[in-house]
Amino acid sequence: MAVAFFYLFSAVLIASAFAVIVSRNPVHSVLYLILAFVNGAGLFLLAGAEFLAMILVVVYVGAVAVLFLFVVMMLDVDFAELRQGFSKHLPVGAAVGAVVLGELGLVALGWQSAPGAKEAAAAPIVAGVSNTAALGQVLYTKYFLFFQASALVLLTAMIGAIVLTLHHRPGVKRQKIEEQNARTRDNVIEIKKVPSRAGV
Amino acid sequence: MPSLLEQYLPLVIFIALAAIIAGALLVLPFLVAFKAPDPEKLSAYECGFNPFGDARMKFDVRFYLVALLFIVFDLEVAFLFPWAVAFKEAGSFGFWSMMFFLGVLTVGFVYEWRKGALEWD
Amino acid sequence: MVVDLTHYLVVSAIVFTLGVAGIILNRKNIIIILMSVELILLAVNINLVAFSASLGDLTGQVFALFILTVAAAEAAIGLAILVTYFRNRGTIAVEDINSLKG
Repeated sequence: MAVAFFYLFSAVLIASAFAVIVSRNPVHSVLYLILAFVNGAGLFLLAGAEFLAMILVVVYVGAVAVLFLFVVMMLDVDFAELRQGFSKHLPVGAAVGAVVLGELGLVALGWQSAPGAKEAAAAPIVAGVSNTAALGQVLYTKYFLFFQASALVLLTAMIGAIVLTLHHRPGVKRQKIEEQNARTRDNVIEIKKVPSRAGV
Repeated sequence: MPSLLEQYLPLVIFIALAAIIAGALLVLPFLVAFKAPDPEKLSAYECGFNPFGDARMKFDVRFYLVALLFIVFDLEVAFLFPWAVAFKEAGSFGFWSMMFFLGVLTVGFVYEWRKGALEWD
Repeated sequence: MVVDLTHYLVVSAIVFTLGVAGIILNRKNIIIILMSVELILLAVNINLVAFSASLGDLTGQVFALFILTVAAAEAAIGLAILVTYFRNRGTIAVEDINSLKG
């Protein structure tokens, strides 16, 4: 049964990955990318990486794909014009793809694992511990430095995005709540004596 | 321990049921609805005018910035999950490791707050 | 793992190839190029997870998680650069980017 699911997920993954690169409308590409990620998550699930599968759905389908959709919608570009080189690049793309696939196929079909590879596991999977707990036990201690490096990557992404895309429009009047709260009757109202028949 | 597929059987049933219902709602109108199309009915309705312009509106860049900041904090929360599950096993080193991680991201958070990236002017 | 490791490797090889071909085919459209890069990283992640399951080693999954982080950050920054470029130039044709200097 699991084998059937594996073939289902792989078939849909490959088909939607193909659709991503050939579809005419970028919005469709993004939607196919979402389908590809969901099926990739299914493959992760079958391999026992439950946490990664869920994170793939949450982060990619929930956030990254939305970001792509935003950009496609935001940029009002003539996409037909951008597609013009497609048929021109088709022979080159097919040739490079065939070479890469041939090389990867040689590796994927001709590999054999080294003796003692299983015993050399750096963080062996223990039966009876859930996948998330097992990840938590090694992620923050054994892979401490990588974990902090990923914090720096996220910090860079945050700061870089703000630097690149944040533009404050000049002349925007903002509400300053503390100033509003500090206003009292004494410092905003002035009582003047107006002499009669002199005007204001 | 039941096999992986048995554990996820409810999820499979749920997704299958959702797909069936959504698909049925999508397909049924084509089959049962009364149809008598004419050009005026099929044209897009825009308050009596002929439709002008594209339905695809340009989005504001500020939506993009919000989505982007959301990704970063989404990933931060993703890292918090295994930490919470394995809190005891990770020990005090794991605790301070996460505190440092959160501290680094708080620097970014303070930066974006001071820059006014969270304000919608 | 119920399915043989080789099956996983073949699937990820095909997805990787589609990603590489997508970069070449859509030379002008940088949005599709970024999506192709995401596909390539997904293929790499499938590889890592498959090896992790087959060797009984959690390290592959840990690194897949880091790759996920880097990929999300990369997409975010890449799209931010794209947005800024579009605002300055009014186009997203990649072939003009070689005029960027300094």
